Amino acid sequence: MLLQILANALALGAAYALLALGFVLILNATGAVNFAHGDMVMAGGYVAIAMGSVLQLPGALLLPLVVAVMALLGFVFSWFAYFPLKNRPPVSVFISTIALGIIFQNSANAIYGAAPRKGPPLLSEGNFGMGGITIGAQALGIVVVAIVLIVAQHLLLNRSGIGRKLRATAQDREMAEAVGIRVNRMIALTFALGSALAGAAGLMLSNTFFITPTDGTNYVIKAYIAVTIGGWGSLSGAVCGALIIALFEVLFPSLPLLIPPLKIIAPWLFTQTASTILLYVGLLAIMFFRPQGLFGETVQRRV
Amino acid sequence: MNAVVRSVMGWSRSGIRPLFILGIILLALWPTLMTSAYQMRIFTIVGIYALLSLGYQFIFGHAGALSLTQGTFFGVGAYVTGILSVRYGLGGEFTVLLSIALPLALAALIAAPVLRLESHYFALATLGVGQVMLLVAISWQDLTGGANGLSGIPGLTLFGLEFGKGYGIMAVVWVCVAMGAFVSWRITRGLYGAALVISRENRIAALSIGIDTAQLRYAMFLLSAMFAGLAGALYAHTIRVVSPEALEFAIMVACLTITVVGGRTHIAGAILGAILIVNLPEWFRAMEKYYLIAYGIALLAMIVAAPYGLIGLLEQWRAKLLPEKPPAMPPAEPFIFVRAARSAAGPLLEIRDVHKHFGGLKALNGISLTVAPGQIFGLIGPNGSGKTTMLNVITGIYRADSGSVYLDGTDIHNNVAVVRYGFDNAGLVQTFAAGRIDPAWKRARSNAMYVLEGLGVATVAQSAAGSLAYGLKRKVEIARALALEPRLLLLDEPAAGLNEGEQLDLADRLRAFARGGLAILVIEHNMPFLMPLAERMACLDYGDLIAEGTPAEIRANPLVIEAYLGTPEEKRA
Repeated sequence: MLLQILANALALGAAYALLALGFVLILNATGAVNFAHGDMVMAGGYVAIAMGSVLQLPGALLLPLVVAVMALLGFVFSWFAYFPLKNRPPVSVFISTIALGIIFQNSANAIYGAAPRKGPPLLSEGNFGMGGITIGAQALGIVVVAIVLIVAQHLLLNRSGIGRKLRATAQDREMAEAVGIRVNRMIALTFALGSALAGAAGLMLSNTFFITPTDGTNYVIKAYIAVTIGGWGSLSGAVCGALIIALFEVLFPSLPLLIPPLKIIAPWLFTQTASTILLYVGLLAIMFFRPQGLFGETVQRRV
Repeated sequence: MNAVVRSVMGWSRSGIRPLFILGIILLALWPTLMTSAYQMRIFTIVGIYALLSLGYQFIFGHAGALSLTQGTFFGVGAYVTGILSVRYGLGGEFTVLLSIALPLALAALIAAPVLRLESHYFALATLGVGQVMLLVAISWQDLTGGANGLSGIPGLTLFGLEFGKGYGIMAVVWVCVAMGAFVSWRITRGLYGAALVISRENRIAALSIGIDTAQLRYAMFLLSAMFAGLAGALYAHTIRVVSPEALEFAIMVACLTITVVGGRTHIAGAILGAILIVNLPEWFRAMEKYYLIAYGIALLAMIVAAPYGLIGLLEQWRAKLLPEKPPAMPPAEPFIFVRAARSAAGPLLEIRDVHKHFGGLKALNGISLTVAPGQIFGLIGPNGSGKTTMLNVITGIYRADSGSVYLDGTDIHNNVAVVRYGFDNAGLVQTFAAGRIDPAWKRARSNAMYVLEGLGVATVAQSAAGSLAYGLKRKVEIARALALEPRLLLLDEPAAGLNEGEQLDLADRLRAFARGGLAILVIEHNMPFLMPLAERMACLDYGDLIAEGTPAEIRANPLVIEAYLGTPEEKRA
């Protein structure tokens, strides 16, 4: 039972990790929050649905196409939401990304309507047993795809010339510019990368959880909570945070299955709604007591 | 009488006020042209959104914090009215008050963890609060009616009087808008308004002149919640149903769009924005339900092209096309810096055995020194010797690990309240209801003129601070500190970036203020500037006080020379 829950949590956490990673990459590069990041997940889901219905291919084959389309969308996105405002306070970018998020949401609504849609599965929707637990092919696929993408992202950032430039831009834009890095190009690339990761997450989540045009808000909050737990700006922290959230979301409502007495004591507590509320309350508590994240170190701030 | 008429005429002609007055007249005439109940209802909803946005301007415009919870406060207000009037049959005199009180309580509760967060954190945290409330509204079916909500909300009754559909509720809503506008006008004028501007633009500067920026933000957040709660209550009585839609993000989006499009700090902006955004779907019926895309485009276009909104844009155009004479400079009345000192003969500032460590680094290692009233005291030392840390301990930005700091006999270091308000009377925050003819406001302006004259830069009084040259800016910063009539002025490298002429001039003027009783503690590397200026000096090195005395003694002290030049045996990197 517990193993089954952990397997489900891992699949969900893997998708969240992609989402949170893209969020942090853009955050680090621009210093601004991309509020439309959740809407990029949503957009990725709909792009997958659209392509799936035309091409009739499984998700695994659609994935490179979706990632490419979403990367392009990320480029365009930065052109509207970031570059006109790059010399303004970060809050301006926050608002412009809200505006683009609204445009994404309502465009999706105009095209597909508000009813939930189901995205194509990565390979098949079958299950197979393994050591007493049932694992969906989709869940396993998500984990594999997420690991591949996270490793690829890590290699790109830490083992390639362009990754070095991306990191330099994120760390100190002026200095990067001074040593001849084309900073604007790097930032646009970061938006493309973040959008591509969000799109991949969208493709995979749209099969398991379906997708509606307004799902974005929920996803951006998930990314945000993951990043807050992991420490603002930390890539590995974001992945850990995503796994923690997913574990909590999957584990908490099924606690009564693991510990039957709970079902009698407080059946109302262990619902999806209550777990979401608890997650937010936990977030507020973390921000209040450990604003540097669960793993961050306390550093005395020097003025 | 004639003078009053003339001043009113003058007021109404300045800025964009002629347009503003025309707008009010048109707004008042509009309802008389309405022919259908539907038009009245739209106009009522315009008023409700104007009220919501007026409230949102407090936190978003005046405090400069992007809150995403205004829609939530609105929804909570609407639910309180819906639940109380449908389930308990309470009248408007209760429902409206409670609809204001509950969002207020909610705001006070969530302010503790979220309000001190930086902008993006704050925005997302407030969004999380909104999601929680939405989930509660959907799942607590017994109370809220779940996803279907509550219908059959009666019209608004106040003390037995019914304000039903049409003109009744419309009148109530617009009276509330007028009152809200008045409250907003009162609060954001005068000293309190000035405090809001400086807290928003430069928090550190605001803190340094004794403005409690956290307190201001808190007050703005609570005000915004109250306005939203009232708007929500009126909304429930207008559309007669309340459902989770009232808590959905779309309301917040509309509110944000109204405020950005209209103008984030202009009262007229909230009303103009509400007129445009509420009517947008009416005017462009062809867009059907996709008007939200148009909201998004409008929001994006405005934030890029006109961050201060349409009203801000009008003001800019007016200033460009019809430039006005700048307002007259206020008269300067001199004040003296010595106020009745509690311990007449003792030192003004006394630092006793202050220690401060950063991890293993000893930034201050048992420093003691005193500054007398009217004395200019120079603090020197090589880079990293602890000078600025010392300053930060005195001002309370850092807390010392041990030791104490006495100002005029009071231990300010263990008294956070005193430290927070700086070295002066906390006049700013107390003048919450500051009007135009507030004596404190008058005194602040006269003080400002006096210190600007004293520093020889009175001519800048009519310029924007951001447009000044570096040397002038530096003097304005010093004037900002002096305008509060302090007894002690702390300066960290005031001569940096000034040319020699400017340095001499600054030294002369500081000396003149010191003769008036002001004590000055100067940190400086520039010895040609400091040596003739200071009466006493002290030198820090690696957190130790290695010398204290007159400038001549310091100049001759071998320890000081060694600290600055190093000795051949011991070269420090």
